[in-house]
Amino acid sequence: LLQGVRQALWLTKTKVVEGLPPPVLSIIGNPAHQLDDYEERVKRAISHARFWNTTEVAPRREYYCPVLFEDLIHLCRLMSAKYPPLAKRMLARDYRIAATWERESILLQIRGLNGILMNSMAPIPPVASKEEILATKEHVLETFYPISPTIDLQEVNVYKELNDTGKSGCFRDGYPYSHPHTLFFLESANIRPNRFRPEQLRAKMLMFAFGNALAKAKAVYGNDPKVLEQPVVVQSIGTDGQLFQFMVFQLNTTDLVSSDGIKNLVWIDSDQNLYEKAQCVPEVKKRVVTKPAGIYGFQPDTFKKFLALYLHGTV
Amino acid sequence: AMAAAGLRRALGSLLLSVRLPALPRTPPLASPPCLLRGALAAACRGLAGSAPRCTTDPLWKCRVKYTVRPIGMKKTGGRDHTGRIRVRGIGGGHKRRYRMIDFQRLRYEEGAPAEPFTEKVINVRYDPCRSADIALVAGGNRKRWIIATENMQPGDIIKNSSHIGRMAVSANEGDAYPLGALPVGTLICNLESHPGKGAQYIRAAGTCGVLLRKVNGTAIVQLPSKRHMQVLETCVATVGRVSNVDHNKRVIGKAGRNRWLGKRPHTGLWHRKGGWAGRKIKPLPPMKSYVNLPRVTTQE
Repeated sequence: LLQGVRQALWLTKTKVVEGLPPPVLSIIGNPAHQLDDYEERVKRAISHARFWNTTEVAPRREYYCPVLFEDLIHLCRLMSAKYPPLAKRMLARDYRIAATWERESILLQIRGLNGILMNSMAPIPPVASKEEILATKEHVLETFYPISPTIDLQEVNVYKELNDTGKSGCFRDGYPYSHPHTLFFLESANIRPNRFRPEQLRAKMLMFAFGNALAKAKAVYGNDPKVLEQPVVVQSIGTDGQLFQFMVFQLNTTDLVSSDGIKNLVWIDSDQNLYEKAQCVPEVKKRVVTKPAGIYGFQPDTFKKFLALYLHGTV
Repeated sequence: AMAAAGLRRALGSLLLSVRLPALPRTPPLASPPCLLRGALAAACRGLAGSAPRCTTDPLWKCRVKYTVRPIGMKKTGGRDHTGRIRVRGIGGGHKRRYRMIDFQRLRYEEGAPAEPFTEKVINVRYDPCRSADIALVAGGNRKRWIIATENMQPGDIIKNSSHIGRMAVSANEGDAYPLGALPVGTLICNLESHPGKGAQYIRAAGTCGVLLRKVNGTAIVQLPSKRHMQVLETCVATVGRVSNVDHNKRVIGKAGRNRWLGKRPHTGLWHRKGGWAGRKIKPLPPMKSYVNLPRVTTQE
């Protein structure tokens, strides 16, 4: 996507709000929702991923990124001792999404592998209040003349308009964990051109969160375009092992043909560093160790936000 | 079977890793396969004896669909299709990837009406294959590379038009207009000789032509070599000088830099009657006309 997040906003008819929504921020602020000595545990998790994982001196990103993710999820799951509803979640890997929607007479669709999805039994309550939703009516979507908003999208022949929430094995009706909760995107390619840049990663997260929310909404409310009384909320977290992007997406309407009316909302918190640098080999200048091996610039706030997004919806 | 397998192996090494669907095998590819088959047959036989057959083909140029991604290209080393050196002094140098440049400014998208349109400059970068800089522009649903003009910055809006009005348009730098719509005396570049052919003149770094006069349906342009050229006024040219203006002022500095550019050293033999030195004063060659005027037949 050429224009990154701005193009994704037009395609999904969304308004962006900087920072995380107030309910999530309140979870972060609440000290009852903290693990004891979580800083130590998170540092240990990072060291495990970055240093101790393989026999090589510096493990490559395709090794350490998933390991770090697993460790962080494990730390979050430790909280379920305090909150039993947390156990009602499940993770799905290699999960395929398909959603179609029409946007000003252009038919768009998202297909393909999603990343990792976390489903829960109960949906996340809507984050924005009714006034905010109505206030989006006045917001005008940003266009970028002369570039058309569908630039960089692949043109394919559509034979079937598909809308479903996953491989039709698991997610049919009656499956207990039926609400998409959070999506995780791990950029773990080795070479830098194969990875997405942060701007493009945020755009990808937005599009997939939207696709999931839309598929769920169409499953619940039917295929007619209308404004949803109960907005669907999907979160997504994207990372390349070091930088984290957090996003909360709220689908307010499936009426996407016109460009005015109520819009969807998204809260984006971008470029949160979990740590500045992880030194694998101690840096030695003139036979004197200047920087011993370890993690530098650790920021606990990033993990707090990760945990808050995980706990959101059950707390 | 061996020839077919060899053919497929050679073609496989040349085909690009492309996410697009397979290219249709259109006429550009019709003649090379027979040459390649001959070359492979010769290779299978061990190139025994006889005159050199076609050994290398510029098969890296076989891409039909336009793309913005840079393509790996093959260096010829100055050798032509027989394998012998046709041009001396070419060889070696840094590897380059070719970016497909769209020289026809007025190329409309499929499904777009034939009217003036605008595009936005996204990125201006160095091109290893030419002296000028290239610019990535996007408009509508497509992106393409064009030759950048001087003072082209990312974020500029440029206009491409084919409409010739009664009054001359005050053109901004980087816009593309037909010669009939430009005022006399503008500096232009990327000129085409026939309408719709694509720019073939004035493409090097820092060059510009001058529109001298317009004569009933044709326009006369002065090229950087001071030669005059007469073309139809519907031929499209861009306004301004080509980018990278200080290209001729750069200092090579060492022999190695010339080798990086792919230039091999000259022969050191002094040719007594070469006639290369000294100032040369010649009259201007006659005006080159690319316009087919109807022949005026005299009446009895």
